[in-house]
Amino acid sequence: MLSYILRRLAFTIPTLLLVAIAVFTLVRLIPGDPVQLMLGDAADPAQVTEMRRALGLEEPLPVQFALWLSKVAVGDLGNSISNGLPVLPLMIERFQVSGVIVLLAVLCAALIAVPAGLLAAWRQNQPLDLAIVTGATMLLSIPTFWLGLLLLLLFGLKLGWLPVVGYVPFSENFGQALLYIVLPIVTLTMVEIGVMTRMSRAAAIDVLRLDYVTHARAKGLPERRVLMRHVLPNAFAPTWTLIGLILGNLLGGIAVLETVFTLPGLGRLLVDSIFARDYPVVQGCLLFTALIYVLVNLVVDLCYPLFDPRVQAE
Amino acid sequence: MRRRHPLAACLAMGLTLAMLSPADAQTTVKLRLKTDIRSTDPGANRDGPTDGVVQHMVEGLVAFREDTSVGPLLAERYEVSGDGKTYTFTLRPDIRFHNGAPLTAGDVVWSWRRYLHGPTQWRCLPEFTGGLVNIDSVVAPDDRTVVFTFDRPSALILATMARVDCGGSAITHRDSLGPDGKWRDPVGTGPFKMGEWRRGQYVELVRFDQYAARSEPRDGYTGAKKATVDKVRFVVIPDAAAAKAALVSGAVDIDHDIEPEDFAELKARPNLKLETAPTMTMVTVLFQTRDKAVQDVRIRRALALALDTREITDAVTAGTASPNNSVIPVSSPYYTKVQAAGYTRDLAAARKLLAEAGYNGQTIKILANKRFKSSFDVAVLVQAAAQQIGLKIDVEVLDWATQLDRYTKGDYQIQSFPYSARLDPSLSYEMVSGPKATQPRKVWDNPEVEAILRESMQIADRDKRQALFDTLHRRQIEELPLIMIYNEVQIAAMRKNLDGYKGWPTGQPRLWGVTLN
Amino acid sequence: MKLRGNTLVGGTLIGIVLLTALTAAVWTPYNPLQVNLRARLKPPSDLYWLGTDEFGRDVLSRIMAGAGTSVLVALLTVTFAVVVGVILGVVAGYVRGWTDRILMSVNDALLAFPGILLALGVMVVVGANKYGIVLALGLAYAPSVVRVVRGTVLSVREREYVEASRMIGNGEIYSMVRHVMPNCIAPIAVLSTSMFGWVLLSESALSFLGLGVPPPAPTWGNMLAASRPYMETATWLGIAPGLCIAFTLLGINLLGDSLRDRLDPRMAHA
Repeated sequence: MLSYILRRLAFTIPTLLLVAIAVFTLVRLIPGDPVQLMLGDAADPAQVTEMRRALGLEEPLPVQFALWLSKVAVGDLGNSISNGLPVLPLMIERFQVSGVIVLLAVLCAALIAVPAGLLAAWRQNQPLDLAIVTGATMLLSIPTFWLGLLLLLLFGLKLGWLPVVGYVPFSENFGQALLYIVLPIVTLTMVEIGVMTRMSRAAAIDVLRLDYVTHARAKGLPERRVLMRHVLPNAFAPTWTLIGLILGNLLGGIAVLETVFTLPGLGRLLVDSIFARDYPVVQGCLLFTALIYVLVNLVVDLCYPLFDPRVQAE
Repeated sequence: MRRRHPLAACLAMGLTLAMLSPADAQTTVKLRLKTDIRSTDPGANRDGPTDGVVQHMVEGLVAFREDTSVGPLLAERYEVSGDGKTYTFTLRPDIRFHNGAPLTAGDVVWSWRRYLHGPTQWRCLPEFTGGLVNIDSVVAPDDRTVVFTFDRPSALILATMARVDCGGSAITHRDSLGPDGKWRDPVGTGPFKMGEWRRGQYVELVRFDQYAARSEPRDGYTGAKKATVDKVRFVVIPDAAAAKAALVSGAVDIDHDIEPEDFAELKARPNLKLETAPTMTMVTVLFQTRDKAVQDVRIRRALALALDTREITDAVTAGTASPNNSVIPVSSPYYTKVQAAGYTRDLAAARKLLAEAGYNGQTIKILANKRFKSSFDVAVLVQAAAQQIGLKIDVEVLDWATQLDRYTKGDYQIQSFPYSARLDPSLSYEMVSGPKATQPRKVWDNPEVEAILRESMQIADRDKRQALFDTLHRRQIEELPLIMIYNEVQIAAMRKNLDGYKGWPTGQPRLWGVTLN
Repeated sequence: MKLRGNTLVGGTLIGIVLLTALTAAVWTPYNPLQVNLRARLKPPSDLYWLGTDEFGRDVLSRIMAGAGTSVLVALLTVTFAVVVGVILGVVAGYVRGWTDRILMSVNDALLAFPGILLALGVMVVVGANKYGIVLALGLAYAPSVVRVVRGTVLSVREREYVEASRMIGNGEIYSMVRHVMPNCIAPIAVLSTSMFGWVLLSESALSFLGLGVPPPAPTWGNMLAASRPYMETATWLGIAPGLCIAFTLLGINLLGDSLRDRLDPRMAHA
């Protein structure tokens, strides 16, 4: 088992290296320049060059890449161009915000979506199924920013139950922190329920057709036991894989949510940095999300046998 | 108490705490910022919001007044020598830095040395090292006197020193730097001092109780700058809809720059009031006169005649701004009847010009961005107007950094471009006029125009300058390197219990003199 | 096989969308690009059935014109992602060894790459047009297909009947096409119908974050994004494209499910 984990970890190195190369190239391909943005509509060409030189941006690209990579290897992700702060602590601080939200939201979504999917599959092509599928599809077709704003207006303004903007870290005040992240979590949960319900419904339909379910039914087991004992655990396995994919992707895609709810998370840091052409931060964030993604999927794969008795770890 | 539900207990406690209003009796005014500030180093690593925050903490020798003239701030008075090359500033007595140290002429010299020689990356370094003038020396003959010597005279020396994007050439104390010589926190002379900066969330400033205010009333960035509230907090809320919700719910007290489309809605709210102030930012349509598609002035004129500037301005600004075809802002003292003469819509004439120019139905691209909503809106309306005379225009939306890059490289046919505020007409014209060969971003490449512009920068006589600006305006309308549409009007929305806020032409917020009832 | 309720509902919804798109090609009530500053933000009336937007353009006409563009972009993107994903997934799952490792490294790298940056990068290179979006979103979604297909291939290729097919002398490629591919259809059907929805929406998410898609040509996604500032004052602006997206998605999902049921080989065993 340990050697398997180590081997998997070793395989992540080429992936991360590829990400590093791709990120670096893509970020530099995009037109625009951090110094230009700083100087705005009155940029004096000589001053632009001078400031770029000070930031090390006038070196040839391969040299810049090698320098960056050699520093990354020892855990130094450089400093932000926008505000001069070291990238790594900045990212970790922002990640705590996004990580908590994503994790809780995916957990809540799974708790609702898996049973819902199972129920729909069980009553496939009947009114209950159509209702669940329609509900899930409706949730899928509402953009995050719409749903988020709607909830914000309802609970923040009309009812006044929850704060509208801001964030308090859990370490500072647990209750306050909770108040500030309820709405983002609810929004994200609702959005994710859509995808997950559909996936778990599909998986459950597959399982329901398998011979052993027919056997179990033939043996005269009550329907509820068939569902709980035989279908649910097996149908959960593919959903579990999906959860891995979602967890990894969400970190990158959470920017919209963080913008709507004004949360200082990793997604917003990434988007802001892209707009500001803050190369070190963009590179750092992408490498970091890639690492998280790889690790999450490793964990998902390791846990997979727990849910799917048919599969053993390699 | 039994420890059966620590989580529940925690939750309940948190909830109770949250329900209670803030315990401290201190008054804090909360203002919305669209983006986080970049640094606290004046005029160095900066952008618009950064300048706005930093100017609450630091001050320069001179500053802009409301009418965009320049007045003394830290200086009590100044004298200019007969040849216009020596400026002698006398400092006000009894001014203290945030660390308690008195302001001396030595601090002024130290700050300017830092700007001119240090690794500061001061934005306005090029202006004072040959661009506008060259500073030959800055010396302090005594504790209250500073003498600047320049290589040549210029009408714009004080206006450039006061420029907000130059950080107002703020005078700071040595303690602003850490032992390693790097910028730490501003130790300035402003009405507020640095509190807490939570990156990505807010910057909080605390009132400076030993602030020495000027005696005359508040006027732009000078006059009496007395802080009345205990703290000011600049809250970062990037999304306009979230900001609107924050304002309505009271999570912020003021948003000094709301979108025009929210004007009517926020005006109708019972707990809010609005305040408008014309600014000097320019909403323009720029032509790349080197591009074949719009090289012919008749095509550019045809487009100008197809536009109804008033209608466009009304639509984009919800009727808050007035149209202006001149590079000189409406709120400038130099804006007269001459500048008010622009283009009048004449579709027949436009079609005729287009035919004369031999326009063959080719599609022309106009660049726009959505970071500045006016840019996109204007582009769509220009496209629609062009359609009426048979001129085909496509809108290409770019992210702001990309558009700025295309602007800087001069790589476009037409673009809908926002210029930041310049508080002197010479500076406004300087922004657009210049040789494309060495500075591709310039849109108006005409040596004669540059000569007139240079003259306007050197002479101080107001009437003579006005005459030069009138000539420039007529030529701009004639040669059409760009179409000016309007100067933005800034709309501030605030809670009804906030008093004393007033907008002004720089568009920067000022939270001194503001009270919360 | 009898036509079931879900299939019928799905088919009807998609039929309406296609019909709308076709109609819009020849006729719309107004020119969808025609700006009318005197009729800005008008609520629905008998003149403008679905109201007008902030430039006074007719919302119904834009919805109709947007149907074609939106569906085409989504369809092209999903096709691109599925074709690329299936080919690479099958190759990786079947060949295994180093090819697999390299392919999966690249794939994981792509998967781990936030779509926003990918979209921005690709659109700058290809240009901010329809095809730029197709390429950007296609590249962002293909890796998920690769993963799913590869997983299925890995699990199916060891099953008895595939072994048996090989034993009786059928070629590798034949076994693959005959036995492995059909097993991939179910997960791909689910994934691609979800993708269809993501594409329709990610366009609006991109414009929300300020990465515009050429907007004068209407699509449902950018209409939805543009409607946000008017959510309280001109609600109709968001409701119309939102419902269109929802019903199209519902139709696609229902059709996707029945397609899957028809093609899934395991159905035969049940």
